[in-house]
Amino acid sequence: MSNLLQSIPEGRIDFAGQKLVDSISRIVLISAVVISFIAGFALQDVRVTFGLFGASTVLLSLVVLPPWPMFNQHPVKWLDSSSSAKGNGKGKEKAS
Amino acid sequence: MHSVFSRINNVSALLSSCMMALLAAIALSTLAFNADPKGDLAIASIKVYPGTARRYARTKQDLAFVDFNITADLTPLFNWNTKQLFLYLEAEYINTQGVKNDVVIWDRIVRRKEDASINVAGKNKYNFREHSASFKNVPPANYSLKYNVMPYVGYLTYGEIAKTAEPVAFPPSQPRV
Repeated sequence: MSNLLQSIPEGRIDFAGQKLVDSISRIVLISAVVISFIAGFALQDVRVTFGLFGASTVLLSLVVLPPWPMFNQHPVKWLDSSSSAKGNGKGKEKAS
Repeated sequence: MHSVFSRINNVSALLSSCMMALLAAIALSTLAFNADPKGDLAIASIKVYPGTARRYARTKQDLAFVDFNITADLTPLFNWNTKQLFLYLEAEYINTQGVKNDVVIWDRIVRRKEDASINVAGKNKYNFREHSASFKNVPPANYSLKYNVMPYVGYLTYGEIAKTAEPVAFPPSQPRV
């Protein structure tokens, strides 16, 4: 129970999810810069630029920051603790 | 990127780089707009009266009163990165001690493109007085209308809209009307 409570604010995601988060944030931020600059320049209004950039930043942080289930679809498969313990035991027996 | 905090750290680091790039691009885009509008400035009349300025109430000194007409269309100065314009009318003269003086006698802040078509018949907003307390023997002064563009992002640019074709002489001081 305490383990679950601790893990909520930490928001852990798996390795595949981390890679996904990294590429999503990079693509979204860089394209937000380009799109908001072009839109503001075309409409001749710097408010459009900052509005678009700010809105895309807020959306990006909503998508990327919380540990959504889609970032936890490839959990790491650890080896069985019982089988590895048996293997160790056998090896020890042979050595002695 | 495993925890919320490392994700906040990574995203905000990239965000600040992107923000800097965006701001630099906006500041540099101002180079594409190089409007330099011209207008007309005419000095209608200059009168010099003895008086006292509020700050130096004890000293009698000459105060110059300048009436002028300005027509200028400054809408080309408004591009997407223009926050406001600062217009100022400057009197330029060399006084009897040989010191060059630039005196701002009128100014106006233009915040909107709709207000950028200037048509003013005005008089000096600020006290126009000589440091030596008298305009006697002061050579004629040139008057020029200048602007200063203040952008949202980037650097300030300055320019001149109009200048009097010939220097305008200061008349002799008249007794108070």
